[in-house]
Amino acid sequence: MRVLKYTGLYVILAFGAVISLLPFLTAIFVSLKPAKGLFSTPMWYPPLSPSLENFRSLFAGGSFALYILVTVIVVIMVTAGQVVFSMLSAYAFARLRFWGRDTLFWAFIATLMVPNIVTLIPLFIVMKDLGFINSIMGLAAPYIFGTPFGIFLSRQFFLRIPHELLEAGRVDGSTEWGIFWRIVVPISRPLVGTLLIITSVQSWNNFLWPLIIGGTPRSTVLTVGIADLSTAVVPAYGPMMAAAVVVLLPILVAFILFQRQIVSSIALTGIK
Amino acid sequence: MAHNRTGIAAEAAGSRQQPAGPVRLRLRRYAQFATPYIFIGPSLFGVLAFSLVPVLMAGVISFTSWNLLSSPHFIGTANYTQLAHDSRSLRDFARSGEFVLLTVPLQTALAIFLALLMRRKFPGRTFFRAIFVLPWLSTPVVVAVIWRFLIDPTTGPFAQFLSFFGIHTGYSLQSTTLALPAIALMTAWQYVGYNALFFLAGLQSIPEYLDEAAMLDGAKAWQRFWRVTLPLLGPTTLFVVVTNVIGGFQAFDMVYILTQGGPNLSTEVVNYRIYELGFQQFDAGYASALAMVLFLIILLFTIVQLKFANKHVTYDVS
Repeated sequence: MRVLKYTGLYVILAFGAVISLLPFLTAIFVSLKPAKGLFSTPMWYPPLSPSLENFRSLFAGGSFALYILVTVIVVIMVTAGQVVFSMLSAYAFARLRFWGRDTLFWAFIATLMVPNIVTLIPLFIVMKDLGFINSIMGLAAPYIFGTPFGIFLSRQFFLRIPHELLEAGRVDGSTEWGIFWRIVVPISRPLVGTLLIITSVQSWNNFLWPLIIGGTPRSTVLTVGIADLSTAVVPAYGPMMAAAVVVLLPILVAFILFQRQIVSSIALTGIK
Repeated sequence: MAHNRTGIAAEAAGSRQQPAGPVRLRLRRYAQFATPYIFIGPSLFGVLAFSLVPVLMAGVISFTSWNLLSSPHFIGTANYTQLAHDSRSLRDFARSGEFVLLTVPLQTALAIFLALLMRRKFPGRTFFRAIFVLPWLSTPVVVAVIWRFLIDPTTGPFAQFLSFFGIHTGYSLQSTTLALPAIALMTAWQYVGYNALFFLAGLQSIPEYLDEAAMLDGAKAWQRFWRVTLPLLGPTTLFVVVTNVIGGFQAFDMVYILTQGGPNLSTEVVNYRIYELGFQQFDAGYASALAMVLFLIILLFTIVQLKFANKHVTYDVS
């Protein structure tokens, strides 16, 4: 009965859901079709006799596996740095009193307005001087120290921690450093989860900077590798869709595991 | 639990009263003063080294002629005068504006629509909400590759499906009129569900009695939306529009994969142009000048939007 009441709503939402999922389903379908039969049935048919041939040819040269390795290393470096440093500074901005606090915080947030491209030319020059071009360090360095988004999100979270909890730690004689690690971090599991997912996905998806700073096989990330595949004169759709699945699947899994936290945390960043 | 904690606290307070030397006290005070700065230190370094200093550097580079290999020459405002007469680059700025106009209203309106649909609880709400956010997390480069395949007129599923019904499509990405709207649609696909989350949160902060009061006054659903709900969503709308405009001016990934600025420059947005100038033609000075102008445009837009908001947006219900 209740479900019947919502029929119209469900029809619209189901339509939206299909559009949202369409690229994911397409990639999975096409990647599983054998290369020979790729064009024998219409593209929108499900793969009735699935084969891993496309994945085999994708990994054949060995370079794609290397791109995965490079990407994973960069993502781990960037995520670890961003989560720790964003939370540290957000805690100071939210719960400590110090000279210049609000000015500094808004200066951080204001950098959200700086278009990425403005900083890329100077950064490229700096990285060149440091010898970081075509290196993992060059790929990771600009992103390790925290982002305004991560700081803002963490600050919103820390502002809601009850005053008494922190005060108890202070009365115990703990230093702020101790309070942060022993009281704040343990109760911030949902925040840590969200930060881990969002920063790692953003780093995983990053394209423009890796396109500029990388280039050799040992400094090519997945997005750049796929871009090379896709701008080839004759794009091989089967392996390309296999590559798409390799990139999207980890995001999909992470999202399924953490979706509740992600959804509620995003809403938190919108509150003024 | 609470009792236990106060017990420990009392003990700690007692132990603190033991005499501590003046040196230790002073050290402790220094530590207290320094702690916040140690906490923000790494982020502060990051913002300075990777955001503020590079912006200043870009400003300086924009007054030079530099191919990144030899040393830069100071040429005053020549890059900016060149830009004023460079019809291609000026058109790229206009095109980015067009792209923002194509994406932001669509992304915002559809997001409000989705949020209204999901405003009240119903079975499966969490499920749908999650599915709509998924596109935001997906890799733009990969999404572009898949969409290009989907709309391919010869091998793509859309075209094949439509040809079943005798409908034949052209390749929108090779059309000078359709390519930019096609990229705009794919971009909107990524951000609608994400934006909807903010509106959902906004809707939940509107007290229900306001809607009920309007209903008692005989206001129709449509009137209630325009007169009550939408004005109260003002702060959320402002936040969404500002962030989307900033993002829209920076479109790059999809353009790179789908059209590389073509056909016939019809999708050459300014961000792509700056990339081309800076990293393919190694004209760092001119590229930086364009980047600085883009920065100023975004800054101006944001300030205007926030000023407008101060006048017209209702923040408070009471």
